[in-house]
Amino acid sequence: MCATKVLFSRCFAVSKLNTPILSYIQQNSMSVYPNYYIEPIYRKETQQELVKTGEISKYSHIPTKATLNGQTCSDSYDPVIALFTNYVMRQGLKALAREQMDKCFENIKRLQLEKYHKCTTEEEKLKIELDPKKVFHEAINNSKPLLQLTGVKRGGVRYQVPMPITDRRSEFIAMNWLVDAGKEKDRKVRFAMQLARELVDASNNTGKVVKRKQDLHRQCEANKAFAHYRWS
Amino acid sequence: MFKTTADLLIKSHPLRVVQGRFFAAAVAEPKSEDRLQSFRTFEADPSKHNTNHQSQFYKVDSTDKKVLFQYGGLPKSFQIQAKTFNETCLMVRDPSIQIINHLKTIDYTQPPIKFVLYGKKGCGKTLTLAHIMHYAYKNDFLIVHVPWVGNWMRRCKDTSNSETKPGFIDLNIDAAAWLVHFKTQNANILENPELKTTIDIQWNKRECTPIGSSLLELIDQGINRIRFASNCVNYLAEEVKKLSQSGLCRTLLAIDGFNAFFYPNTRVFTEKKEMVPPSRVTLTEGFLNLTKFDWKNSVIVVTVDEIAIAEKDQISHYPRYLLGKSGFEHLDPFLPVEVKDYSEKEHQSIMDYYRERKWIHSYPGQNDELYFLSGGNPFRLMNLCNAL
Repeated sequence: MCATKVLFSRCFAVSKLNTPILSYIQQNSMSVYPNYYIEPIYRKETQQELVKTGEISKYSHIPTKATLNGQTCSDSYDPVIALFTNYVMRQGLKALAREQMDKCFENIKRLQLEKYHKCTTEEEKLKIELDPKKVFHEAINNSKPLLQLTGVKRGGVRYQVPMPITDRRSEFIAMNWLVDAGKEKDRKVRFAMQLARELVDASNNTGKVVKRKQDLHRQCEANKAFAHYRWS
Repeated sequence: MFKTTADLLIKSHPLRVVQGRFFAAAVAEPKSEDRLQSFRTFEADPSKHNTNHQSQFYKVDSTDKKVLFQYGGLPKSFQIQAKTFNETCLMVRDPSIQIINHLKTIDYTQPPIKFVLYGKKGCGKTLTLAHIMHYAYKNDFLIVHVPWVGNWMRRCKDTSNSETKPGFIDLNIDAAAWLVHFKTQNANILENPELKTTIDIQWNKRECTPIGSSLLELIDQGINRIRFASNCVNYLAEEVKKLSQSGLCRTLLAIDGFNAFFYPNTRVFTEKKEMVPPSRVTLTEGFLNLTKFDWKNSVIVVTVDEIAIAEKDQISHYPRYLLGKSGFEHLDPFLPVEVKDYSEKEHQSIMDYYRERKWIHSYPGQNDELYFLSGGNPFRLMNLCNAL
């Protein structure tokens, strides 16, 4: 009896001791880093700017997270493409996702160059965008929706109410639509090829994704009458 | 033999160095306008290429390409690039200039000199061979070219037991395909009526190719009667040897992935699922016959490649390892020619070429970054540039 009592008290003591740490872990969810760790600054230009302004001394003793293996100081690095790669990724297969993106850009170049060489006049040639990164950014810009529909329950009925959308959210939707469009294909066509076609199409303001965006806008227009449910 | 080859090296070597130096001095201060075009040369005839054209690109005529490489001979990745760039350009590199210079100067009354191209994976051995073949084509050589020996030993189309030689295996479809390849490459030369067979060939009881029939008939026999294709290749090899010996034609023997003839493991199987070593494949015999010293008026260029053997044995890229003891002794003495990674100048040149073809879009520090990442390896560089 005595032994159990001692054990119990000890357990209690341990749990009492652990409470602040436990709460701390919960606050930081699954991260390996405590919450006072700052994001790494891995771009050379930003670092040089900090050196110039003298702000670098501020950062010198703050604990910093390690740089992710995809983040480089190379000029070929693009944060938007890195984000898109993460959206393409499934089951944590990042290397595969990156490979698919590389192949996709290769395909974009091949598609555009084929068109380029078919053109007879200089003017037509100038119109064709050969830089895959520009095509990519243009495609994402063109497929960003301006509004979204959210279900709101009023009087037992669920209404699709048009809502304004943040830039971040609209970018997320655009990217996910593009990934979906890339997957919607014949069995024999590769994802990288289909995605390349979709990106080229979207950059020209045509194709599946842009149509989906326009459909959403049309739906929002039709449900204009429910807009007041947003606040009442 | 050894003496002649050694002499040849000594003779040509100082000359080459002097030229190289002179050239280095000449390019030290390129004019700003010239630099843009300095990666390209308009000298499309490979027999006029010398060290002045080093690391420049020349355009292969589309008709030449069609004749030479219609049935293989260029790597697939290169063909895709050529299609995208809307032209086929080869870089004039050191090993091909060296060999072409030798081809111009060697004494063809002596037994053939053997050049062995070796180098790491993706260094451009096959394209160097292509450049040499283009030279040979322009200078009316009879080209005996095997696009890739690995296709026979590691992924053959079909197998059957040889009818004439017990224990041997025929790869008839592959042999017939090769005969078509040979016929298209040498269509011009084969029209020469003096190229005749020197022996009676009895295929079976009824069919025979009589003495004095043209070489074309022999080839057509192999193509039309696929059963005899493998034997036909061996007879053809023998005939080519005799014709060159008699001085009717000058022959270039170009074999890509030659070491596959000596690698003991193949993917050729008998009906009982037993593996067949290359020495018991009928096709091997003909080409090993051609690489002997007992003929003249010819020159032999072969490549040894790691990719031609199984992946687990890809340890070294040096000829002694890849050929093994028997293969090395079969070829010895030969002139090893290393195909190296890109030098900085060659790297600069190819990056300019890619930019001119609108394949990559430049950003500051791109050249150095890619040179570092690729380690100068052409194949790796090509893969890195794909996504830019």
